[in-house]
Amino acid sequence: MNNTFDHRTDHPPNLNGFAAGRVFAGGLLGLGVAICLNSSILLAEAERLPDSTSRSISVAVWTPIESVASPLKLTWPREIGDRLLGRAKDEQQITLIREQVEMTTETNLEQEELVVESVQKERRSEASSSTSASEPVDSPWTEDNPLDVWVAGDSMVQFFGETFVSMVEKSPVVEGTSEPQLSSGLSRPDYFDWPTRIAEIMTEHDPDVIVLMFGGNDAQNIRTADSRWLERFSAPWTDEYRRRVGLVMDIATADEERIVLWVGQPPMRAAGFDTRMQLLNEVYQAEADERLGVHYVDLRSMFTDASGKYARYLPDSSGKLVDVRLSDGVHLSHWGGEWLSKLLLAEISRASDGVGELWP
Amino acid sequence: MLFPTLAFGLFFVAVYLLNWLTRPHPLVWRITIFGSSLFFYAWWNWRFVFLLLWAITSNWCAGNQIDKCLRLQNTQGARGWLRTAIVSDLAMLGVFKYYDFFALELSNLLGADTSIPLLELTLPVGVSFFTFQAMSYVIDLKRRLVKPMPFLDFAVYLSFFPQLVAGPIVRASEMAPQIAQRPDPRTVPSTEAFHLILRGLFKKVVISSWLASTLVDNVFANPDGHSSHDVLLGVYGYAIQIYADFSGYTDIAIGVALLLGFRFPTNFDCPYRALSLRDFWKRWHITLSSWLRDYLYIPLGGNRGRNSETYRNLLITMVLGGLWHGSTWNFVIWGMIHGVALMIERLLPNRDIHPMFRWVITFHVVCFAWVFFRAESFAAALDVLAAIFSSPGNDQISSFPIVLVIGFALAAQFAPKSEVARLKNRLNRSGIATQGLAFGIGLVLIDLLGPDGVAPFIYFQF
Repeated sequence: MNNTFDHRTDHPPNLNGFAAGRVFAGGLLGLGVAICLNSSILLAEAERLPDSTSRSISVAVWTPIESVASPLKLTWPREIGDRLLGRAKDEQQITLIREQVEMTTETNLEQEELVVESVQKERRSEASSSTSASEPVDSPWTEDNPLDVWVAGDSMVQFFGETFVSMVEKSPVVEGTSEPQLSSGLSRPDYFDWPTRIAEIMTEHDPDVIVLMFGGNDAQNIRTADSRWLERFSAPWTDEYRRRVGLVMDIATADEERIVLWVGQPPMRAAGFDTRMQLLNEVYQAEADERLGVHYVDLRSMFTDASGKYARYLPDSSGKLVDVRLSDGVHLSHWGGEWLSKLLLAEISRASDGVGELWP
Repeated sequence: MLFPTLAFGLFFVAVYLLNWLTRPHPLVWRITIFGSSLFFYAWWNWRFVFLLLWAITSNWCAGNQIDKCLRLQNTQGARGWLRTAIVSDLAMLGVFKYYDFFALELSNLLGADTSIPLLELTLPVGVSFFTFQAMSYVIDLKRRLVKPMPFLDFAVYLSFFPQLVAGPIVRASEMAPQIAQRPDPRTVPSTEAFHLILRGLFKKVVISSWLASTLVDNVFANPDGHSSHDVLLGVYGYAIQIYADFSGYTDIAIGVALLLGFRFPTNFDCPYRALSLRDFWKRWHITLSSWLRDYLYIPLGGNRGRNSETYRNLLITMVLGGLWHGSTWNFVIWGMIHGVALMIERLLPNRDIHPMFRWVITFHVVCFAWVFFRAESFAAALDVLAAIFSSPGNDQISSFPIVLVIGFALAAQFAPKSEVARLKNRLNRSGIATQGLAFGIGLVLIDLLGPDGVAPFIYFQF
């Protein structure tokens, strides 16, 4: 190849490619087309970002593009594609479920004060009689009518959910389901609406046991229904977050027979993140204490070393060191997931007579 | 910064423009590309930029010393500097990648009373790739296969962002001339580049992510909870997933480099059409297997000695190749399976075996090894293998679309290359506007077909 050429006189040979400037123009055209066709998705994704400068910039960039592309029907192909693939949600159904959720909340709020007192009395009596052995109860579950166990939450659930399901399904009369949603939580229902999804699960599946774990993505500003931002861990933020945690707990405990486990956050490697997760754990613990049907599962003691600090490697029952956390300092490893799953089985057994016998 | 993200798209638009605008000015161009690559790397964790800078500086200095010694005919000195560079590179890998693994195993071996301090460090992205590139540079200098590169050229070579985090492992002899010579800005191979980028995105975003989320992750997390049929399909699915994931990344990397005027070596050549393990390693992660051949297998003696020595060399090479992927026993076992299979292949003459039968055996040995590669532990791998033969129950996951995708991905390995070339030629004859339009529509289709959120590439962790 001759490396000396004159841009003004030499014409680019078209067989092997195009001039860099033309490729740039072609690439920009392609990106432009992709952005226009996808502008509604891009804007929706930008709006779901945590309250930050990058969110403001993204929204500011995509809003005018979407406002031009949408009236010109350029976003239609994508919307039709989503509908054909079954991605578009049935808005009517969602509205119905939301209404049910709100009704549940209102009823529960009215009863809350009365319930708190009775729950605290119940817990005190449970604590005093915890050493007494419970009578064995005949199992009402069969292969045709299995105990339905669900585990739902953010990416933490992705790392232990299937392990937990495999453990509960060791009993032939138990059916387990794991439903993780990456990057989700209770702070941003505009990204993933957990209260609505939990209500859907309750209505459609009516599980006997549900394990919930949120928080990893929740230490961020909250956007209210009137589009205001509440600064994280400010008093209004804490009130709103407590309300959301309580709402999910109320939906899950609408059936008093159901066992509801709320898993707290384990210690985290980064000190600042760990402090934020501790603050969230306080909210979960406080809300769980106010409801008879919710059992809070504290993970801090399980995943700390002898000095009470975060540890990636911990000794198992035989004294052998195993890695219980992933290298990101946040998620649980395979072994960590096994430990947590065993703890959850024990908690479920403790919460209801007879269930423990399903997993000898 | 992941390839299939808008952030990378915007970053690349800016770098493309700067690349071609500054190319006539060698110094400015080198600083621009080096700076862009550091920015790309810092996007994950800016602290590890210093590690990359150390790798660049230490290997460049050692390389210069090796060259100086060789010019003075001081072979002993050159060998010393080479050893220093290799020890420094391996120490970097050792500290970040292997220390905790060996410390943990030693602690467990010595008993509960002995506690060896653990570092618990985050693994820098791409450290295995740029360390191997750096080592190939100093070794090739010692072997007089390359000439010493100017500092900025070497910095661009080691940090070049398209291949920085997951390869291909490009040799200095391949990159140095391309850095030194200005490519012709009139012949940017856009058809090939757009085709590779779209193909890579499709493999990663649609095939790999979809198979992982609908099949593979569930089967490997809970093999007992699935039928034998589901588990077997999960193993086949993982074979396709890891190929789509890694070769998808490579396709994008090669396409992006082409747009900047660089041509990377081929890294995958339809590996699942291989009729033997030897053939497989000529088609899978070619830049790693040729690295291991040139810098490990041949220096160990290759196949020049007795048969037993050849088998030993094969086994050492494959086990270390396995360990390169990660510090767990499962990777060691994965390497051993390939090493032993290669040994058996050498022992058995295969001339009379029908090609179809050879393909079936080769593909299933590769899939068997993938079980250990994917599983969380040795016990978990055994659970998966046991579940293939002894897990009753109804199929929960297996569905026609999954079987179709796996079948399609396997069949695509056998697609005649002439057909692909003809399609590319036809696209090349169309104008750049048509290509751009097709590229844009392709991006939208891939985004539409892919699941929400794209997991990082599997090979980033290595």
